[in-house]
Amino acid sequence: MAVRGASIHAGVPATHALAAWPHIRRCDCVLGILGFLTLAGVVAGVGRLWLGLGATTGLKDVYSWGIWIGFDFGLIAFAGAGFTMAALVHIFHREHYHDALWPAILAGLMGYVAVLALLVLDLGRPDRFYNFMLYWNVHSPLFEISCCVLFYTTVLVLETGPHFLRPLPWRWVRPLLNVLAWIMLPVTILGVTLSTLHQSTLGTLYLNMPHRLHPLWWSPLLPVLFYLSSIMAGLSMGALAYRSAMRILHRREDRTLVHGLCRLVIGFSVVYLVVKLIEVWWAGETALLGTGPVAVFWWAELGIGVVAPALLWAIPAWRRSSAVQWIAPILVLAGVLMNRFDATLTAQVVSTPTGYTPHLLEWISTIGILAAALMAWIIGVRFFSGEQAHEHHH
Amino acid sequence: MSTQKARRRRERETGRGEAPVQTLNRREFVRRAGIGMAAVAAGALLTERRAAQASNIEPGDDAVGVLIDLTRCTGCNSCALACKAINHLPNPDVAPTALSSQALTFVAAETDAAGGVHPVKRQCMHCLHPACVSACTVGALRKSADGPVVYDAHKCIGCRYCQYACPFGVPTYDWGNPLGLIHKCQMCFQQRVAKGETPACVAACPNGALRFGKRRELLAQAHAAIASHPQEYTDHIYGEHEAGGTSVLYLSAVPFEQLRFPQPGNGTISQTAETVMGLTPALALSVATLATGLHLILRRRQQKDDAAPIAWPDRKED
Repeated sequence: MAVRGASIHAGVPATHALAAWPHIRRCDCVLGILGFLTLAGVVAGVGRLWLGLGATTGLKDVYSWGIWIGFDFGLIAFAGAGFTMAALVHIFHREHYHDALWPAILAGLMGYVAVLALLVLDLGRPDRFYNFMLYWNVHSPLFEISCCVLFYTTVLVLETGPHFLRPLPWRWVRPLLNVLAWIMLPVTILGVTLSTLHQSTLGTLYLNMPHRLHPLWWSPLLPVLFYLSSIMAGLSMGALAYRSAMRILHRREDRTLVHGLCRLVIGFSVVYLVVKLIEVWWAGETALLGTGPVAVFWWAELGIGVVAPALLWAIPAWRRSSAVQWIAPILVLAGVLMNRFDATLTAQVVSTPTGYTPHLLEWISTIGILAAALMAWIIGVRFFSGEQAHEHHH
Repeated sequence: MSTQKARRRRERETGRGEAPVQTLNRREFVRRAGIGMAAVAAGALLTERRAAQASNIEPGDDAVGVLIDLTRCTGCNSCALACKAINHLPNPDVAPTALSSQALTFVAAETDAAGGVHPVKRQCMHCLHPACVSACTVGALRKSADGPVVYDAHKCIGCRYCQYACPFGVPTYDWGNPLGLIHKCQMCFQQRVAKGETPACVAACPNGALRFGKRRELLAQAHAAIASHPQEYTDHIYGEHEAGGTSVLYLSAVPFEQLRFPQPGNGTISQTAETVMGLTPALALSVATLATGLHLILRRRQQKDDAAPIAWPDRKED
């Protein structure tokens, strides 16, 4: 399936992936900066592993999760690009989104690898990360998330595999590609299933904190809200990844495709907003919407993440503009990231004299991991987007 | 739009641009999908079986607990010192003001509404249905049938989810250690209680403020104390119902809210999350089935559409 999903070309008769080389100069600059940030992140990460959490983070017993977890959970939603786009093309058979599939599943893979890297930094005992496979606790949302993330990362490796294998000259590549093509449908369905499970379970995770998560955020509907917002974020990422990939490859983008994705994003965002509002009304918490600084964060994440892009979209003349089709998905991503940060940090109500201020090392390591993921994605798009994808399928 | 449409039709006619829809005969499809479904089903069943093994042990009728009578506490700190001794923890010059990996219990000084200062011993409440146990990724925390909530340091990966699940702020992390772990009171389970002895803090209390015994009996004694001395106690046993009930119980002269006791409500903290987690196998099977079904139906429709002029979904907008 994804084998056919391999190409994002528009009929350019290039014969080799390295045909993208002429654009080296501007891209090299970007890659250089990202490489530098990655190196700084590696140094910070090694420092954290060597010195421990106390010396290198602002974490403490009452604020035990910081920006690593905030970005981690945001990134999992962003990396929903993989499962949303795969579902759109292979399960809902919206074949015209086909060209956006490879940048999206590649973004998914890089996102999940970054998630794993951030988790390793955050774990108190990274040397025992594999313990969740040995000792199971099926009541634990975090156990389910760990299992699903592990399996889904494997799914993403299988889904992206054909692109990385195809340029290889060896004889065993072709039979391997055949095997991958044969299992791709069950693998895709497995990927959508695993994603549905852990994207919603990230919300279930917070159900165990009714005593400290602000009631505007705590709700039995958290799994549904997290799942919906992962679809919003995933499709936004899918649109942005496709548009960025087209720029990197100096190809003309399919405007109808971009428009369709943005429209889906806005649709899901509005559904999300409606569910949020109904939930607050149903729980009798409407009075809380006007009280305290924490209510400002509630409005901010929905205002930036849903209302603003929906308003941009509401004006027919604007919705066609390329700028709006960049800004709308970016705003949705910002809103979802804010939601994950609010649930993890801002909306945690604890009576403590001191709050949490992230340590510089936390920032450097986070930025380093994000830069590495972006760098790997750019390289993947430039050199493995593939031109001869069709040839494999007859 | 018309040019778009025309371009796409031209591409279709010339066989360029959009790839032809791959044709897969139904038997082949069912075989492939069946493999995926079987894998998901096997995983779901396996998980369900493990669930039965790993579920919380209901504390028995003879489960033990500790009754803390705050009216008898003088704040002498003997309990905290005994705790440090048995757990081999350092004893700093400055008395702790919060639980930490170095202080599994400490005596806080709380001021009531009238300005009176009350010493209040803090430690793990040993919940009857501990949220930390439910939350722990690797099952390192466990409610023993005897009552204490115990911790297996060898399983812990240091994810610190237990710190968020606990409504009493009990589990603490060893921040100074590059390979830090979680620390909490285990009611001296291994060192003393399993051998039939009382916890070190209880044994050390010179004022009879701490009492160790079966929770059932301690609860009866606490009710009797309130009934016989209603002027000395506020009519509330903290821990009888809080967070679904705890093995550690408190008696106090003043209402517990004034002494900054957490008010988590009477429900079991992990109830909602456990209910949702219980739906996991059903959700997995439903999604896999739905995805397979949709794929099958929509593929057939797509193949039919291939014969007809292309139905472009955005035509209304364009």
